[in-house]
Amino acid sequence: MSPNSRLAQRSIHPVTSQGSETTDLALFVRTSSESLITWNRQRIVDALVKETYIDLETAQLISKQVEDQITASHIKTITAPLIRELVDAKLIEHGLEKVRRMHTRLGMPLYDVDQLILNPNRENANVPHGPEATNLTLAEGIKKEYALLNIFSQDVADAHMRGDIHLHDLGFCDRPYCSGQSLEYVKKFGLSLPNSASIAKPAKHPEVLLAHMVKFSATLQGHFAGAIGWDAVNLFFAPYLVGLSDREIKQLAQMMIFEYSQQAVARGGQAIFSDLNIYWEVPKHFENVPAIGPGGEFTGKNYSEYQEEAQKLAWALFEVYLEGDGCGRPFFFPKPLVHITEKFYKTPRHEEFLNFICQVAAEKGNTYFVFDRGDTAKISQCCRLSFKLDERDLLDARTPWKMRYCAMQNITVNLPRLGYLAQGDDAILFSKLSDHMELAALGHLEKRIFIEKLLALGNHGPLAFLTMKPDGESYLRLEKATFLIGMLGLNELVQIHCGEEMHHSPQALKFGLRIISHMKLIAEKLSARHHLRFILEQTPAESTAYRFAKLDLHYYSPKAATVIKGDIARGEVYYTNSTLMNVGAALNPIERVKMEGLFHPIIPAGSISHIWLGESQPSPESLANFVTKVFRHTLNDQIAFSPEFTTCNDCHKTSRGLSNSCSYCGSENVDGITRITGYFTKTSIWNKGKLGELRDRYRTKGFFPAVSETEESVKIA
Amino acid sequence: MKALKLFWREDCPRCPAAKQLGDNLKRDGIKVEDYDMDTVDGLAEGAFHSVMAVPTMLLVDAENDRELAEWRGNIPNVDEVRQCYQDIML
Repeated sequence: MSPNSRLAQRSIHPVTSQGSETTDLALFVRTSSESLITWNRQRIVDALVKETYIDLETAQLISKQVEDQITASHIKTITAPLIRELVDAKLIEHGLEKVRRMHTRLGMPLYDVDQLILNPNRENANVPHGPEATNLTLAEGIKKEYALLNIFSQDVADAHMRGDIHLHDLGFCDRPYCSGQSLEYVKKFGLSLPNSASIAKPAKHPEVLLAHMVKFSATLQGHFAGAIGWDAVNLFFAPYLVGLSDREIKQLAQMMIFEYSQQAVARGGQAIFSDLNIYWEVPKHFENVPAIGPGGEFTGKNYSEYQEEAQKLAWALFEVYLEGDGCGRPFFFPKPLVHITEKFYKTPRHEEFLNFICQVAAEKGNTYFVFDRGDTAKISQCCRLSFKLDERDLLDARTPWKMRYCAMQNITVNLPRLGYLAQGDDAILFSKLSDHMELAALGHLEKRIFIEKLLALGNHGPLAFLTMKPDGESYLRLEKATFLIGMLGLNELVQIHCGEEMHHSPQALKFGLRIISHMKLIAEKLSARHHLRFILEQTPAESTAYRFAKLDLHYYSPKAATVIKGDIARGEVYYTNSTLMNVGAALNPIERVKMEGLFHPIIPAGSISHIWLGESQPSPESLANFVTKVFRHTLNDQIAFSPEFTTCNDCHKTSRGLSNSCSYCGSENVDGITRITGYFTKTSIWNKGKLGELRDRYRTKGFFPAVSETEESVKIA
Repeated sequence: MKALKLFWREDCPRCPAAKQLGDNLKRDGIKVEDYDMDTVDGLAEGAFHSVMAVPTMLLVDAENDRELAEWRGNIPNVDEVRQCYQDIML
């Protein structure tokens, strides 16, 4: 009987290690705990028995074989990681693949760490380059490997590695994805965080409430992978603003925006991806809700009585956005999302406010216009994610501190790949799409099990913050969690399958709608089967659009090269995001918003259309008119206007449009600023795919009537 | 050529009446296309025409899908539809 077949017959149940003989090697081992110890073969046996299900006899055999190999090499010093690799190689030789997986060491090559320390991270343009950012990237690297080995099954992990699907934020695998928050929670319960040295009672002053909110956001950033959205911020602040002068409210607005935009000191030096949901009116579902005021006490009034203060804060916030930062640049965070509703148009001075926020959109680009038609109510955050509130959620509005929601994970399906696989056959295409969605659902189930395991550790676990229960319910309301299924490259899938892009013909557009309709119905079936809320979302895909394009160029060329967008020679390749039309197509904004909006009602977890303004600066009135038309005549969920800027790193002035040099001092030490997916950032830190997209974007020059040259020059100065 | 598109859902209480109306119009020789919004094709066609409520009936130019008349979320009178079908010229 061969050694391998003997091994195969042995059981692999855990056993207790016992002492065994070791060779007296004159060998030193550098361990990962920063010590130098003498060789002891028993350590291999102990590790194998502790970490895997191997039996003692096999562990001893493997350790002996590794020892023999090391002895024969005459090496004098060896590292623990190298010993582990040698052991793993032996495990493979013996056919013990499962044991090897369990015994794997996670880490990074020296070269990669060197590169990370020296070069910026381009996967996420919201990660700066610095020691904290390096820590974040290194930790993310290890957690990604951990997730792919230990959280997700091999089928799911392999599908991710191949690029059939993308498991987002693997580096943050031990926390949920995004969250929607209520300021009422902080107002009612103050700031009491696990591991915090002190506890703060509910704030009595607006500045203190702001401080609590920002610190709470930073804590949330440490417990969620993505965005932190705050609902109805101006309304919930309102009870604290009674009697304050306009100047004092403006000061508070300024503090709020600067505090968020300059919070580049928390996780990995990242600014908090933060969203402020703002209403001009008092939303219907909050009208008769008792207001919480200073000290966390009910004021005796309902929120409908705080419209004036809420409007003052909303106005002041946009005044600050309009002014920009100390150099006149647009603020990157927090993002202001203004909800446009039927009631908005019935609220006094709405035209004035709409024109004002459109002025901000035209000049700085900050404003997001979120359309809540009919009885829809939602909390928006991230690049486009939103939590639509159902009847039960609206009942929660009576106790608004309970209105906290999360998306557990986002998994995106690579749609163009299905086109390559189907080779024009509808049946294969839809069947493969269902298969890949099932894989996504499996990934979600696995992630949920892992998070539940962490939550079960309660106060002593890593997610203690999410398990605290000041209102009798865990902060993270798991039963409300959504599980996002995203899509990427619908335009290219249609191009592969139908021979034309979606904007080319109604037939191509309808085919795109069939794909997303299929996804929606499959998501509903999967939800019923697994009792989880699988919901479609337009994936922001800041780096996924690039990753999928690169992988498909590798596996599916030459076909892929005919549909992938960007510049292949420069490596600046990408797929069109989610269900968007080709960003380079010469569509006027109305056509684009209408066509893209057709998809929005069948993507419940959020969608957006971008209007790339380039260097043009439309008049506020023209944008306001456009926003109203979009609300009245389309089903588009959300729009944002994106101007472009050049900021000078020498004279610190900012000019309109992207340019290679400063229009004020001529310096070439400049940076571009515009919207990457759902937020503004400097273009110098964009990944190659996004740079390719930036070159291709069709700017709406001339569509909107511009402000006069005189006005423009005054505003920029 | 004109066509009538009828969008419905199985669990919609008013849809059987709309379907009955569609059957009557078919007997008049009017081209009526049925779309169940709980199927892929129905949902996609409904999304294309921004159908947000059922039952919905759309009179379209079959050549280019241009909407000529619409009854969204309600059941029109059969004579009104007949009249519309006859009056609207392509």
